Amino acid sequence: MNAMPDPSCHTAVPPLAVRDLVHCYEGSNVLTGVNLVLQPGSVLGLIGRNGAGKSTLIRAMLGLLQPLSGTATVFGEPALKLGDASKARLAYVPQQPEALAWLTARQMLDFVGRFYPRWDQGFADRTLERWQIPPNKLLARLSPGERQRVDLIRALASQPELLVLDEPAAALDPVARRELLREIALRAGESGTTVLFSTHIVSDLERVASDVAFLHQGRLLMHCTIDETKERYGRLWLPERIHYAAPTQSLSRRRHDDGSLSLVVERDANGAWPEAANLPGARVDALGLEDLFVEIAE
Amino acid sequence: MDASLFTVQPASPEPIYRQIVEQLRRLIAGGQLGAGDALPSVREVAGFHAINPMTVSRAYGLAEAEGLLERLRGRGMVVAATGRNVQTQAQRLTLLEPSLLMLARQTRELELPADAVLRRLARMLES
Repeated sequence: MNAMPDPSCHTAVPPLAVRDLVHCYEGSNVLTGVNLVLQPGSVLGLIGRNGAGKSTLIRAMLGLLQPLSGTATVFGEPALKLGDASKARLAYVPQQPEALAWLTARQMLDFVGRFYPRWDQGFADRTLERWQIPPNKLLARLSPGERQRVDLIRALASQPELLVLDEPAAALDPVARRELLREIALRAGESGTTVLFSTHIVSDLERVASDVAFLHQGRLLMHCTIDETKERYGRLWLPERIHYAAPTQSLSRRRHDDGSLSLVVERDANGAWPEAANLPGARVDALGLEDLFVEIAE
Repeated sequence: MDASLFTVQPASPEPIYRQIVEQLRRLIAGGQLGAGDALPSVREVAGFHAINPMTVSRAYGLAEAEGLLERLRGRGMVVAATGRNVQTQAQRLTLLEPSLLMLARQTRELELPADAVLRRLARMLES
């Protein structure tokens, strides 16, 4: 593989793919068989509760941890044996960056910039100032939020083909967060950057993501385009007197104190809701992503 | 026209591309946007609202297919010359769809017979 590959050569190769990924820590299962493929140019938002295994999944996808079983590839190469050429095409920002803590923000950016063929120094300088990072303080002395902001600048300035961000929103105030989302959105749209980011701020995901994946108790409950998620799923509410009519297939099922029933249901191939939705007294509510997530993750 | 023309509510159950098409329909039907008016570019809208450019393209594409917008060489998307007047009855009816759905739902919730509601509605439309 060349050091500076022509992106058009790689359109058919998914930047990230995992198969049957299983992993556990000290006997408790974290990932219980995850399959996921990222298409080039897509922006995948990964959501899940704390402890759902988002960071573990991301690390396994990038080959930063060896899963118990299953395979992960990055640009078609085995993630655990990734060559330098592929590494230069991706940027990953962990939740708590720890590397190069003995350098200042400016020194770190000057240093790592040399390893990236498309490094944008102007962007790094501008953003350092806009995101209010003291450039001459040691990284070790920065707050965790500042530290992650520096790492986000590093990742964006390298103009990667694949950008992987683990909970990037946590470190940013609303203005800077919006700026980050704008960067993600425009890069995906114009440079074809593929993006994977995990978040628990669902509205961020709804703005920029093209696809969404729900990780719950170690498995992916759902992976589809964001528009489809909103159009295809809804909450069916049935009062007690007709709850016997509830469809057997549903993503979640909740019984309320008054005997009524809430279910997350899916339209069929013709766009119709399950039959019970047409019964008198039944109703279907459209769900935003956050509601949908809460309904099925509870 | 610039990108602030649109408002985007990411958390709404309605997908963002539909929100944009819906707003275009209303702005054109209401005359705030006239034939030949240029739309902000996909990039401008995506950048302003920090949304995925594909979402904006999808909305514009749909509006173009509906005849609301047309793509002019060198000028990008503009409001279609014929957009306002030749909206078919079916097209205008779709604008009422959300209100009708709400009405249908409330009718069911109140357990009112359909013919009673329709009679009342017919009377309101006649007056």
